[in-house]
Amino acid sequence: MGHMQLKEIAATTYERADVNKGYTDQSLHINLDKADIGITPIDTAIKEKFIGGKGYDLWYMWNAVKGTTKWDDPENAVCISAGPLGGTPGYPGGGKSIVTAISPLTGAPIDSNVGGYFGPYKKFSGFDVITLTGKADQDTVILIDGIESNIKIFTASDLPDNSYEMSDALTRYFDAEKPVNVSVVTAGPGAENTYFGCLNFSWYDAGRKRVRYKQAGRGGIGTVFADKKIKAVVARFGAISMKTNNPADLEALKTVTKTHAKEIHELDPKQNRMALVGTTHLVPIMNDHDCLPTHNFKFGSHPGAAVIGEDVYEHIFDKGFDGCWRGCAVACSHGVKDFSPFTGPFKGTKVFVDGPEYETVAGCGSNLGIFDAHTILEINFYCDAYGLDTISVGTSIGFVMECFENKLITTDHTDGMDLSFGNRYNTLELIHQMARGEGFGAIVGKGIRQMKQIFAEKFNADAAFMQDIGMESKGLEFSEYITKESLAQQGGYGLALKGPQHDEAWLIFLDMVHNFMPTFENKAEALHWFPMFRTWFGLCGLCKLPWNDIVPEDNKQTEEPAKVKKHIQWYADFFSAITGKKTTPDDLIAMSEAVYNFQRVFNLKMGYGTREHDTLPYRAMGPVTAEEYESRQERYDKQLIEKYGMNISDMDTDTKVAALRKEREAQYEQLKGAVYERRGWTQNGIPTKETVKRLGIDFPEVLEVLEKNGVK
Amino acid sequence: MIQVDDKPVTWHQGMTIADLLEQMEGVGFCSVVRLNGKLVSSPRFHETPIPDGSIIRLLPLVAGG
Ligand code: SF4
Repeated sequence: MGHMQLKEIAATTYERADVNKGYTDQSLHINLDKADIGITPIDTAIKEKFIGGKGYDLWYMWNAVKGTTKWDDPENAVCISAGPLGGTPGYPGGGKSIVTAISPLTGAPIDSNVGGYFGPYKKFSGFDVITLTGKADQDTVILIDGIESNIKIFTASDLPDNSYEMSDALTRYFDAEKPVNVSVVTAGPGAENTYFGCLNFSWYDAGRKRVRYKQAGRGGIGTVFADKKIKAVVARFGAISMKTNNPADLEALKTVTKTHAKEIHELDPKQNRMALVGTTHLVPIMNDHDCLPTHNFKFGSHPGAAVIGEDVYEHIFDKGFDGCWRGCAVACSHGVKDFSPFTGPFKGTKVFVDGPEYETVAGCGSNLGIFDAHTILEINFYCDAYGLDTISVGTSIGFVMECFENKLITTDHTDGMDLSFGNRYNTLELIHQMARGEGFGAIVGKGIRQMKQIFAEKFNADAAFMQDIGMESKGLEFSEYITKESLAQQGGYGLALKGPQHDEAWLIFLDMVHNFMPTFENKAEALHWFPMFRTWFGLCGLCKLPWNDIVPEDNKQTEEPAKVKKHIQWYADFFSAITGKKTTPDDLIAMSEAVYNFQRVFNLKMGYGTREHDTLPYRAMGPVTAEEYESRQERYDKQLIEKYGMNISDMDTDTKVAALRKEREAQYEQLKGAVYERRGWTQNGIPTKETVKRLGIDFPEVLEVLEKNGVK
Repeated sequence: MIQVDDKPVTWHQGMTIADLLEQMEGVGFCSVVRLNGKLVSSPRFHETPIPDGSIIRLLPLVAGG
């Protein structure tokens, strides 16, 4: 590779809008077709209704795309926003970016909530939201420089092709003296060659003097970014403090920030110890509760899990402050230094691995039968460097491995590779192939929905079986929890707007372990409240973890411990302090509900968003095979007898599998109906006219979409 | 004697985590404890003995990802 070259092709200087009460009220639009840079004010009515973050992203994307727009059409917009509270140093989780696009996997809006400093730097540079549309004809780098008040578009050549080196090179290129002023968004070769490319959002770790990154992982936003030939978007901004958001009440902001941070400092060491182990404590907990995906979600536990959880990673993680936002007291974004990969382009060198988190350990470890902390680190490293979503990678390869073990595909299709569960070397080889867009990896990189079609059409594989075991819904691969014994979490996945990601609702323990929601109505209430509240973090530019992963000591004595109401009050105080709008906890739900329903209508606009799209593969609900049934026979037999009143004495396993399936599929359909009703939707899963009116999103174009879909 | 969330609790021979929780009030939320630094989840409460002098923390409701 030669020396990195950036050639300026467009530039503009601008008067930087002051941040006022968390907002700049300006949006930046870059169209790559003509290297066009536009700055427009944000309408007050839009601000009132969409709040910021994901709300702004969805609104601008709605206006950019048509109902017929496909992910690789030029008008598809990658939108990035930080939200009004984003960029508050010291507030735990106070600096996230929310990214959206029309997804290559689902064809509908996808959103991802990501750390790193980009969102806040972009906002403080003058823009609440940026939209990236069009397609460049050469590799492009975009700079938003809030220090010099200019925006530049460059063509780029001889950039490192992986995100790991590219983030570092661009950080130093744009501010060699003060790299902490720079945050870079990059994709990578995997994003160019698969449908589940992620985006890496960087920050400069001043303690370790290195560039770190977090991933906007889900749904292939990196793929859209790469398709536009964007190599990187860079934001540069100088010193920030609590005053930078120009809060309405600085003293109140300081008080609530200090209170929340102090509690985390005091209680995290007594609770989940996330500052030491990140989210890897979940590995043994999920394993013990039979919820850790193992062998393509077939089972929920495995003895090998003991060597891929917190006991191991606590000792491997590099010691030091690991906040992906400035001063975040949770500081859970750990990494491993001086790691030496045994395959691929970095073989034998020493690299820093950002991660792993629980999802990567479960998806790329236990789900693939890989119980080896070192291999998981290597998969994590390459997925990030290539720009691949570790969740889709893990869930997709799990599907491939089960197909392989069932002889639906053979070495004739896999370039000779044995893809049995546990094959570490070939898993890595598959990932290298995905990144290069070569061989069997190129097929796997299309995701499970397309693989099912390709395997059936070209390899004559059993389509019905693949439908049952292919862990995708709406085209998106499942995140890493077993839901067979939690009907509420089946709803949490199946009814999630973007597809089966757990950020809308995580109800497994409330439902399965504690039985706190025994009726359909209880579950429907939870599937209303939790998604609405969780959506609020994405509107405001915040991380969800400090809400309920560390909780007040007296939380257990409160009426509804799962809601952690003391923290919700703090979030309302936080919102009031920044924006100056006196806000109650109920107001937070109202803000989210409007945006949530708008996103559902957006799905409808794109041709989805109805009952038939809220479906699940049967493996998410129960045992598909006799092997699975027999592995938990006592549990399932008991349910057939006690819950469903069956006489099973003459039933063989296959009959029992079928009987259980009938009951479980029916209860899932019943749950859907109860949730639709609670949300104010029709039984086809569409918000009613009354609902959109009540929420103030009854714009003519929304009503038009409803009418087109039979809602009068 | 053992310490449970920084408070002393009387220990007896053969005491399991399930025994401990049965004698405590308001612990319905508890599905995971840390016993001398190691995580133990509810399916193993009955089979996990508590050694004398142990330090136990009752972890809050598991909140997932
Ligand atoms: S809680 Fe963890 S993921 Fe969230 S902002 Fe803090 S360090 Fe980042």
